Amino acid sequence: MKDVTKFYGNFRALDGISFSVQAGEVLGLLGPNGAGKTTAMRILTCFLPASSGTVTVGGFDVFEDSMEVRRRLGYLPETPPVYPEMTVRSYLNFVAELREVASKDFRRRVDAVIERAGLVDHQMRVIGTLSKGYRQRVGLAQALVHDPAVLILDEPTVGLDPNQIIEIRNLIKDLAKDHTVILSTHILSEVSMTCKRVVIINEGRIVAEDSVENLERQGGAATTFKVALRPASLDWKTCFTGIEGVRLEGEQTDGPIVRFTMALPASAAYDQVFRATVQKGHVFTEITPARASLEEVFLRLTKSEENGSANGSGATEGGKAA
Amino acid sequence: MKIFAITKKELQTYFFSPVAYIVFAAFLLVVGYLFWVVLVSSKLATLEPLLYNAAFVLLLVSPVLTMRLISEERRAGTMELLLTSPISPSEIVIGKFLACFILYLLLILLTFQYPLILSVYSQNLDVGPIMSGYVGLVLLGAAFISLGLFASSLCENQMIAAMLSFGGMLCFWIFGWAKYALDNAFGEMLGKLSLFERYSEFLKGVVDSGNVVFFVVFIVLWLFMATRVVESDRWR
Repeated sequence: MKDVTKFYGNFRALDGISFSVQAGEVLGLLGPNGAGKTTAMRILTCFLPASSGTVTVGGFDVFEDSMEVRRRLGYLPETPPVYPEMTVRSYLNFVAELREVASKDFRRRVDAVIERAGLVDHQMRVIGTLSKGYRQRVGLAQALVHDPAVLILDEPTVGLDPNQIIEIRNLIKDLAKDHTVILSTHILSEVSMTCKRVVIINEGRIVAEDSVENLERQGGAATTFKVALRPASLDWKTCFTGIEGVRLEGEQTDGPIVRFTMALPASAAYDQVFRATVQKGHVFTEITPARASLEEVFLRLTKSEENGSANGSGATEGGKAA
Repeated sequence: MKIFAITKKELQTYFFSPVAYIVFAAFLLVVGYLFWVVLVSSKLATLEPLLYNAAFVLLLVSPVLTMRLISEERRAGTMELLLTSPISPSEIVIGKFLACFILYLLLILLTFQYPLILSVYSQNLDVGPIMSGYVGLVLLGAAFISLGLFASSLCENQMIAAMLSFGGMLCFWIFGWAKYALDNAFGEMLGKLSLFERYSEFLKGVVDSGNVVFFVVFIVLWLFMATRVVESDRWR
């Protein structure tokens, strides 16, 4: 994707987006709602044309060789594109025909995706009677039926319950072994769980592009904990303040217990901090990770809208250098 | 063939949902009743009034068959599936047209019972006008379907699609009346656009090549327009 800009009327949905994905890679498109993730995916899948810029998939231009691109793509839009009155199997048969699955492989492919998406017991059900989670699986099965080289998944876990989210994530991780996957999400933990590399989009611009680890490391991103401590002596603070980069905030005394939030730099050795504290006789009654560090990076990058472009290009360059 | 994949899916949808059955039942009930009323009152072994009535009932029911063909794809988001699959908009439109046309032919096939009943009770039934009338009815149905398909391609809401196609068909039905109101070339021209005027010639036993060509052009034109509208989905 090179310098892609997309206008809806006068509204600039994408503004000079460029990124590339290697074969076999899992890329996460991350951004708040309305950032342009879906638009980017629709351009990739030939559903919408870009206003300017070029997009190629497997060497084929999405505009010039649209049909060739479409043959190589599997696409799960935000709402699974299913026909509620059809059964799971007849629907997948239809998509397989549409996706030009050769007649000799037909049955094998449909059977394979039904099994892979965990729909064996539901293949004769009418899609309209299925729960949201199972419809999502049907949507995934649909995107896989022609064994595409590239899978594009638009918010694959939105609207699912926690169990279903875990199942779909595991399925995606499994798929990543033999497909190139691009998925979009506004949920950060999803990215750190499923993706190797992240592109963060905000207001149509790329504000960061890097591996998950690098992003976490960037700018000394800290991990924040909510801590409740029962101190053995009054000098409990020295256990923490001695370590470089540790910040304590919002101290509250609640009977014998002190509550505060503690920001640990990514470089800090957590276990040493905790062990030293416990050895002094202080008791932790509660330690909760308040914010994953990727979330902090994300917030920092997407919040500063005014100086967003300046920050953004810096972050992108930093990412590329690393 | 991807066209037939679309056709097959649409036919499945018609028969999975109650639409096809209800339309068939309503059509056959009304047409059967009219057949009986006309036959008993006129005591003439001719199919002309029946075919005329059938066309009018068709005008009322065909929007129901065509209204969801494209609008529903758009509403349900399945258009995104179709337009990201290796299939062209013209294949989508033709596939859908064929499905509705096959369903329509089935419906027409069921009305063959009326000429059969006539042939049992009448010694010298004139087969010519019946055959030409059926040719006209098939062409008229195809014309209605293509116009309805175009109307369906314009919107997301089935009801609006149905209303649009109904209004459009009615216009092309009554254009001929302008002939009596305007005694000039413009009135004559509007008369030429009337599906009803041309259809009634078929009922008289005349299969005029000009009329056949008109219907074919009419069908192709609306299908072409529907294709363009589906294509334009990506430019919006």
